[in-house]
Order: sequence, then C-alpha cells, then structure tokens
Amino acid sequence: MLKLFEHETLDVSNLSDAETALEVQDLNLWFGNKHVLQDISMRIPKHRITAFIGQSGCGKSTLVSAFNRLNDLYPGCRYQGSIYLDGRDINHKKENVSRLRTQVGMVFQRPNPFPMSIYDNVSYGLRLQGVRGRRQLDDAVESALKDAALWDEVKDRLFESAQILSGGQQQRLVIARALALKPDVLLLDEPTSALDPLTTLFIEELMAGLKKRCTIVIVTHNMQQAARVSDYTAFLHQGRLIEYTDSDTLFTMPEKKQTEDYITGRYG
Amino acid sequence: MVSLQNMLTPAQRQSFTISITAFLASLLLLALVSILVLIVVRGGAYFWPSPIYEAEFYNPATASSKTVYAQMRVRTEESGSRVWQVSYSDASHPFGTKTLVEDHHLNDRALATEAAQIDLQDGTTVFARPNHLVTAGGTRPPLSDYEENKQQVMALTERIEEIRETYLSGIHEQLAELDIRDVEQDAPARLRLNAEFAKWQGQTRELEQQRNAYQLDVTFADGSHLQVPLADIERVNRVNQQSWWQKIQMVTSGIWTFLSESPKQANTSGGVFPALFGTVLMVFLMTIIVTPFGVLAAVYLSEYAPDNAFTAAIRVSVSNMAGVPSIVYGVFGLGFFVYTLGGNLDDLFFADRLPAPTMGTPGLFWAALTMAILTLPVVIVATEEGLRRVPDGLKAGSYALGATKAETVLYTILPIASPGIMTGVILAIARAAGEVAPLMLVGAVKFAPNLPLDGEFPYLHLDRQFMHLGVLIYDGAFHSQTDAKGASMMFAACLLLLVVVFVLNILAVLLRTRLRKRYLL
Repeated sequence: MLKLFEHETLDVSNLSDAETALEVQDLNLWFGNKHVLQDISMRIPKHRITAFIGQSGCGKSTLVSAFNRLNDLYPGCRYQGSIYLDGRDINHKKENVSRLRTQVGMVFQRPNPFPMSIYDNVSYGLRLQGVRGRRQLDDAVESALKDAALWDEVKDRLFESAQILSGGQQQRLVIARALALKPDVLLLDEPTSALDPLTTLFIEELMAGLKKRCTIVIVTHNMQQAARVSDYTAFLHQGRLIEYTDSDTLFTMPEKKQTEDYITGRYG
Repeated sequence: MVSLQNMLTPAQRQSFTISITAFLASLLLLALVSILVLIVVRGGAYFWPSPIYEAEFYNPATASSKTVYAQMRVRTEESGSRVWQVSYSDASHPFGTKTLVEDHHLNDRALATEAAQIDLQDGTTVFARPNHLVTAGGTRPPLSDYEENKQQVMALTERIEEIRETYLSGIHEQLAELDIRDVEQDAPARLRLNAEFAKWQGQTRELEQQRNAYQLDVTFADGSHLQVPLADIERVNRVNQQSWWQKIQMVTSGIWTFLSESPKQANTSGGVFPALFGTVLMVFLMTIIVTPFGVLAAVYLSEYAPDNAFTAAIRVSVSNMAGVPSIVYGVFGLGFFVYTLGGNLDDLFFADRLPAPTMGTPGLFWAALTMAILTLPVVIVATEEGLRRVPDGLKAGSYALGATKAETVLYTILPIASPGIMTGVILAIARAAGEVAPLMLVGAVKFAPNLPLDGEFPYLHLDRQFMHLGVLIYDGAFHSQTDAKGASMMFAACLLLLVVVFVLNILAVLLRTRLRKRYLL
C-alpha cells in the first residue's frame, strides 16, 4: 500500500499524451491463419511498471514482441493497426527497426548471454551503433552493469566468458546489455520463470529501481509477482484485452468475471 | 516353429547382440590396423638397407651362369615355386639392373661381407666390392681416407660452381645480349668476351679434370674392375658390416633425402619433395577457396533462403553432389575451367602469347578450383549443421539489441557456428588430400621440372603444373609390376600421404578445439 504514497495512481483508460510511453491502436495480428491479437487498444504509462498476465497462448508475449517488432522474424506474421512511440507509428513501413530495437530493449525468458566475455556482451549493442572509443565503451559497460546491480560481482572478471555466470547473474547481465543502449522502454518477457525464488526477488527489486530510467513492461505467469512489482496490470484472454487498470484494483476488485476467475485460479 | 526369441533368455539375447556388433567392430579395426601395418612395413622397407649377397644363377636366355653382388627379394608366384627379384650390377651392367630368377636357377647364395651398395648422384646404384681410392697424383690411398678425399672433391666442385655462377653465366648473358642487338661476329666487345669466356671455361675444365681424377676402384663379383668418379658418388654403404646404429643413421639420412629431394630415375628413387610440396600447397589453396564459398552458401541456405520446396531441392542436390564420382569433377574441371575459362582468359589477357596457352592449360589453380568444387558440398552440409545448432534465443537476443540480420550473422551466428565450419573444412581437407583421379586431368603430372613456388616474380605460379603424392603413388603402382624398388617407393609415398593427411587433420582439429572452448554453449 506504500505504493500509493509514492506516486498518484493514473487512470490508464484516460492517459494524456505526455504520460504515455506507448500507445496501441486497434492492433490485430495473425500468425498464418491464426488470429493471435484482436483489436488491442491501450496506452502504457511512462516510467511505470505495467504487467501483462493471462493464460499461455493468450498472446501476451506476442503483444510485447510487437512493441519492438520482433514478430517480424517469424515468417507468416501479419499485423494491422498502429503502435505509437514518441508520436511515430512503429508499425509503419519506413520505421528503422534496428533503431527501434535500441529504443525498446527486451529481455527473454531464458537468459541468453552471447558466448563472449561479459564486457563484450554488454558492449555488443553499442558497438553495433558504431561506438568504438575504448573509454566510452568502458564507461557505458560500467554504468550498465551498475544499473543492473551486477557490477560488484563481475568487476574483476569482465573479460571472462559470460557462460560461467549463474542463471540469475546471466539474467542481470542480459538486462545490463539492454540498459547499455539507454532504452526508453524495457520489455521483460517472463524474466524470472527460469530462476529460483531468491534470485527472482532480487530481479524484482532491480525492476523497482529501474523504472526511474525507463518504462517497464513485464509479461508474467506469476500473479503474486504481477501484484508485487507492477503499477498497472493488463489481463489478456484469447488475444483480447479483457481488463487493464492499476494493479491494486485489478487484483482486489476486478470488474470482469473472466479476470476474477483467472486471478482466483479457477482456470488458467 | 522355434524362433530365436523363444530359444534364448533376454540376457542371452543381449550378449548375442553385443557379440555380433563387437565382432564386426573388431573386424573393422583389424582391417584398419592391417592397412596401417602393411603400409608402415612396406614403406619402411624402402629406407631399411637390405643385405648384399654374392649370388650365382643360371640365365636360360643366354644359357650361361654368372656370379654377381646383389640385393634379393622373394616374389612368390602361384603354385608355390619361388621367384627371386635380383638387383645386381656386373661388368655389362655396372650401374645396376634387375632380373627375375626362378628358385631352381639359383645355384648359390652367400652374404658378401666386403660388398657395398654405392648410391650415385643420378639415383642409380652400383653393387660391388670397393678396393681402394685413386687420386690425381696416381697414388692409391686406402678406403679409410674416403671422407678426406671426398672433402677435396667437394671443394673442387664448389670452386667450379663458383666460377660458373660469378663469371661464366654473366659473360653468357652479355653475349646473348649482343646476339639480340645483332652485333657483328668480329666486333671487339664480342671478341673480348669470347676470350674471357674461353679463359674461364678452360679453368673449369682443368678443375673438372682434377676432380674426376679422384676415383673409387671397385671389383665386381666376377673379378672385373670399375673406377667410379668420387664426384658421382652420393654414399657408400657396406651394408653387411653396418651396426644397428649405423643402419639407423642410414635410414634417417634416407628419410631426409626422401623428404627433401626431387625424384630420380623416373620416380623410382630419390625423394618426393616436389610431390609433398605440391600436395600441401594444393590443399591449402583449395581450403582458401572452398571455405568462403561453402560458408556463404550455407549461410544463405540456412538463414536467408525461404523455407520452400525449391530450397529443399537445392539442399538435396548439394548432398547429392557429395556422391558424384570424383573423375566427373575432373572432366568438369578440364572442360569448364581449363578449356572454357582458361581459354577465354588467354584470349582476353594473354593474346600475345597465343597459340601457346597460358591459363588454358592444366595447372595448380585449376586443380585447386576443381578440388574446391569437389569438396564444396561437404563444407556446405557441415556448416549448415553448425548454423542450425545456434540457439534461436541468441539470435533473438542479437536482434533485440538492434542488430540487423547481416550483423547478427556476422557477430553472433558465425562465431558460434565456427566449430561446425571447421568440421567441414577438416572433412574437405581429408577428401582433397587423398583424391587423385580429377587431379590427373587438371594439373598434376608425374614429373614437373619446377616447383609452383619460387623466387621469381610472381613467386606463386598458379598456372604451373605440379606433382602430387597421389599421382606419384598411382605411377608407382605401375612400376611395381616390374620393379621392387619402385614398389617400395610407392609404399613410402603412401605412408607419407597418410602422415600429411593426419598432420593437416590434427592442425584443423586443434583449431576447432580452440574455437569450441571459446564459443562453448
């Protein structure tokens, strides 16, 4: 309940443009003939943590992947509708997808550090952007690792392989890798489902600290996690956005019957 | 009806299966070991000195018998009658000859302690009993002074070479230039040069005479004498008196000669250096050509090509290309690379030298290119396998950091797939080093006067024909029908080819292990 005093709770159904990080308008998405997302419209608030919950296959990961157009990688994916970031439609044909992905970082379910050194992992994105200066890279790596609360653990072995880190460290390394690009939005696709409870807690605390820097969108299966970390929660069911409001309301007095059934564990 | 299942208990059935599989596996091992043993034993025999006998045999052709010093080998024929292969020299064949003698024509055979195997510079061998040396002053020093006299001969040879290189060849060039400029025969410059040339030539003749006065006097088994100039002698081995240590020294120097010198006497003696060099160089060139081609093709097939029937058809045909007989590639290389491509290059760039072809003739580059085409499927298949093993999560991670497809391939996918690529390269090297048939069509020859790499611009002569160990072995296999020495040289070349393939493979495996460690997943 402390959260209430930290900042006022916004009405997500009626956000002003200044408060909006991402705006989704009538998004429809198909994989082949399968209609995965149906008429999604929502606004995601800036510098807040928004959680997406729902059954497996309800389209929540697909929706998150639409925010950095990672769905483009899958053959047979088509979409209609718009997603606005900084006032431009990222679904537009002329959108520079590489630049978009540096603005919208993403962390996946399984930690996926590259088989390179810790340093090279964190500086990967920057080097792709053409940053070559040694000092510039050093500084960026250090601050990204500090933001991801990993610096103290790895500062003496930056040039050792990232593969020797533990699962939780690897996941924080992947977060640092995304943070090094100073993204506006950070997408977390079930970031803790492969981790143990203690490490999960650690990552959750990290998220709370990160929201000052960027907008965070998290997909999770874990309702307690959504309730613990998120400011706003969206419930998806079979490709439709059922309910989207602040987390306290959604988890205590959901409006829709489907939401209530899901959060009380009657299905899903 | 009683089936096997009912007759045996499960435990028996299991041990039955194990026995059969183990039996077949050991059969395979046995075949492998016997190949190795055969090649090592027969190849090693080329270097191991065989004893010299004093043999008396009857020659039915001339209806006479003769006594010779000889090295003898048994060639067993069918029906059990033994036939000896005899390498000997006598007054009528002083520099060695070979004949086949049936066992019942061999009258007498005894070890000849005093006899020696005298290897000459030109690759021939004299089997005779050395008596004493002969020097310029007409003195007859004993055999123990051999080394000392040999030193003097070598000093003289060096002096002759020096005169040839510093004076004679220079004068010769100047004279040739005068010829080109059409200077008259009695021009003073020409006369002066001619006089100079004659002076130095006289000196070399004198030195040569001095040198050739040093000789070794030998006796054949029938008592006739021969004097061999020391300058012609490479080595005198009194095989029958040698200790083990001396024999090992002889083997070592024989191996060195084998590795470092050119073949002599139509590839039946001397060394195989040009063939060894040609093989390794061809394989290197092939690797340099095939790796980028194969890797890029595999990257396209696995990362860019749409997943449809056409791509599947390409994949199947790539795999099938690996099964095409190699001679077909040879014919393709000859028809397309040598005649079509090389011919057109000649028309475009070397038109002034036509009709003599420059590129339109078999050569090292076309051979390497043909081998690259031949090994391309191997590299493509192995690389694709390596690319498929790159986890999708890593690719997604790279895209999520703003990498384009090309950047992802370059910085993430290829490094992780590099052990797979190396596997393909290893297989390609193993295949290319052992292939002979296509090479004979596109550039490998029995004897090439020049190495493809030398000090002359442009240093690497890709248009030259080259020697290859496989071709040498093929050639040796034909000699072997009449000639035991040639046959052992063939086995020695086989052994060397195995060693070359092994070493190249080891190098590639070491590299792969390093890459694996680095990109451990």
